[in-house]
Amino acid sequence: MKAVVVDVLLGVGVGSILLSCLGLLASGGPFEQLHFTGPAATIAPVAIAAAVIVDESTPSSMAVKSVITAVILLVTSPVLVHATARAIRVRRHGRFQILRDELARKENP
Amino acid sequence: MNAWLIAATVLLAGLLPCIYVVMRGSRVSALIALELASTLTTLTLLLIAQGLHRDPFADLALVSAVLSFAGSLTFVRFLERWV
Repeated sequence: MKAVVVDVLLGVGVGSILLSCLGLLASGGPFEQLHFTGPAATIAPVAIAAAVIVDESTPSSMAVKSVITAVILLVTSPVLVHATARAIRVRRHGRFQILRDELARKENP
Repeated sequence: MNAWLIAATVLLAGLLPCIYVVMRGSRVSALIALELASTLTTLTLLLIAQGLHRDPFADLALVSAVLSFAGSLTFVRFLERWV
């Protein structure tokens, strides 16, 4: 039973990453591509860490390390996606200062 | 070869689309592919560590997760300002 659970969790983790990679290849623009980093950085680490925990069955350093790795990926991925989207926006339209100027112009025409 | 190492091998196949996008896509797309590839590599290291039952190998995955975040942020900063 434990082996089946581990295999299913591994399948979910690996499948989500492979689908993300194919999505990256198939999607058009960078903003669409950014969405496909999500499943690889959220579903896969959780599934693989859960598989390690189920496989170890007793608390071990391997389980702790896998959980810490999953938490790091879960925390850093949204930050990275946000920073990348911001960089794309700045490359296309310039700094956010422009928006602030537009806002000031609307308030004081 | 156990299920962990098979999963790690299959995951490595996911690097191929990332490499293709890095080579053929725009600079921004290449950066996004690099971010995905770093996540993929981190999880592959974790799977190899579990597959070989070697605890110290998991430290590599841990370090990779932290360093890839810092490296990607640096690339993002360069892409935003200078590149």
